[in-house]
Amino acid sequence: MTVARARHYSGGRTRPLQMKISKQARRDAKQLFRACSVNGLLEDNRVRQVVQLVIGQKPRGYISILTHFQRLVKLDLERRTAKIESALELPENLRAGVQANLARKYGPGLAVSFSQNADLIGGLRVQVGSDVYDGSIRARLAELADGFQAI
Amino acid sequence: MSTLLQDIEAQIAGVKTAVSRQNVGSVREIGDGVAKIEGLTDAMLNEMLDFGNGVTGLALNLEETEVGAIILGEYSGVKEGQEVRTTGRLLQVPVGKGLLGRVVNTLGQPVDGKGPIKNETTYPVEKIAPGIIKRKSVTQPVQTGIMAIDAMIPIGRGQRELIIGDRSTGKTTIGIDTIISNARLNKAAEAAGDKAFRPLYSVYVGVGQKQSNIARVINVLEEAGAMPYTIVVAASASDSATNQYLAPFSGCAMGEWFMDNGMDALIIYDDLSKHAVAYRQVSLVLKRPSGREAYPGDVFYLHSRLLERSARLGEKYGDGSLTALPIIETQLGDVSAYIPTNVISITDGQIYLETDLFYQGVRPAISVGLSVSRVGSAAQIKAMKQVAGRIKLDLAQFRELAAFAQFGSDLDAATQAKIERGKRIVEVFKQPQYNPITVEAQAAVLWAAQNGHMDDVAVEKIKDCQNKLTEFLTTRKSELMAKLAMEKALSDALTAELKSAVTEFKQNYK
Repeated sequence: MTVARARHYSGGRTRPLQMKISKQARRDAKQLFRACSVNGLLEDNRVRQVVQLVIGQKPRGYISILTHFQRLVKLDLERRTAKIESALELPENLRAGVQANLARKYGPGLAVSFSQNADLIGGLRVQVGSDVYDGSIRARLAELADGFQAI
Repeated sequence: MSTLLQDIEAQIAGVKTAVSRQNVGSVREIGDGVAKIEGLTDAMLNEMLDFGNGVTGLALNLEETEVGAIILGEYSGVKEGQEVRTTGRLLQVPVGKGLLGRVVNTLGQPVDGKGPIKNETTYPVEKIAPGIIKRKSVTQPVQTGIMAIDAMIPIGRGQRELIIGDRSTGKTTIGIDTIISNARLNKAAEAAGDKAFRPLYSVYVGVGQKQSNIARVINVLEEAGAMPYTIVVAASASDSATNQYLAPFSGCAMGEWFMDNGMDALIIYDDLSKHAVAYRQVSLVLKRPSGREAYPGDVFYLHSRLLERSARLGEKYGDGSLTALPIIETQLGDVSAYIPTNVISITDGQIYLETDLFYQGVRPAISVGLSVSRVGSAAQIKAMKQVAGRIKLDLAQFRELAAFAQFGSDLDAATQAKIERGKRIVEVFKQPQYNPITVEAQAAVLWAAQNGHMDDVAVEKIKDCQNKLTEFLTTRKSELMAKLAMEKALSDALTAELKSAVTEFKQNYK
């Protein structure tokens, strides 16, 4: 990502400053993004083609357009990605079951990734886009702790 | 046996925690108390967001790819990439009689060190104002205890009357006087066991004020014994702009509870100019488009939706009321600036305070020509209407004649008499701060002034004469005053009695 980096004092660390993206660049990026989806699903090949074409033709403000385009693609990928965390490795049949359930709920085109996280203690934590289904022991303990604090 | 099993089953079901869906996002940008959050696809407008560690935010901007949220309270602990959750709740504040006598912040948390607040109910901070069907026109008066206001610019319960003027012209004092006056009336009615009396509870909202000013107000209210009937919502200048923006809405929710439960409440917003400035700051950091004087386009709606929540409800809906006294500070007397004109157009009248009058010693420095009450006259008691009906016109004529008389000294007797009467009325309306006068005393004094009983008193001795007359009437003629308070009108018999009392006083007055 092409972002201007500037040193500015914020909690004693350097962080990237967001590039100012014009309205026109946003509009163009949005149009390109729409052109890349077929039946509501983003097509990887089209995305790659679009990036190559824009870099090749270098239209006015092309870096801003690509930066915003990248953000839109990133958000779309996140929306279509299911992250399944478990404390132990899941058996194959359970994985297939979870996958099938998620496909039924969120439709086709969902990229599913499984990972292990010992911090969960037990149970599953599923995140699809900004939806989280937390059935882990850690979450239940946290809920219990909140309940005690409220009392 | 079967019920025992059912009980156990129900308890087990309660213990089982089903996995519920949560909506999360992550902080993309944070600064000036405003966070931009990616994700949160299910966030509602004005929903509370949980930032963890007890930090909460309020979703104000719902954009295509992100949510703009303002953080309530301390935001220095919030970091980029931090997880944020929706809560499904709107911002709420505690309401009820448990808040009376307390000083709270925007979120309704006590800041007076008197321990936790006992409340059972909470109200959302943002609420739709009562509709047309629920409303009733204003009929009951709010006794401010300030003679000039009660006589010429009467305020009714459920009315919105703007107090406008330059800095240090006595705007806050009018609000405080009204609170004190009503607290005294409440106390007197309580002591007398008057069941028909409707007490008026007060809410004072300090927005962007100096902490010292708010402390002084609390001190005055405590000394006057008005705190037991008052809630103070403090969002001082050192509070975040977010808290300053939300404080009037919190105070309004607290006042609305009284209205919804068939009681009467008064709310003072001190002041809405600073509130507009705080909202401008919040809007600008949220990158909302700015309009005139960099205020956002919805600054009118900000104040109109707040002031529309003040209303008088019909009998069917509890017969409660919420009276609002918003305060606006002008710059060099410019009432045609953006925020003053907005609020003038929303309210049911305004009390305009003039710097020149203030420095001439006319205090409260109410400009009679520019002040108006559009609905309050319907709420004025009959006795006051009888004595003060023509006073506004007389005073306006006096001002014109006085200006004219400056150019020449030869005036006919009628004009001279009008000027002399005007001078005396101006003196009668002068009143020290935090010293409200009961409505029957006001009516009696005005009757005496209007009927020429003060014409032979020198202008500089008018105040002394008025004070002594009030003292004479309240101590020696307390029966007459009680009758006047009861009947609320000057009947022929009562007028005759008042006339003999004033004549008796005049015989001994030197």
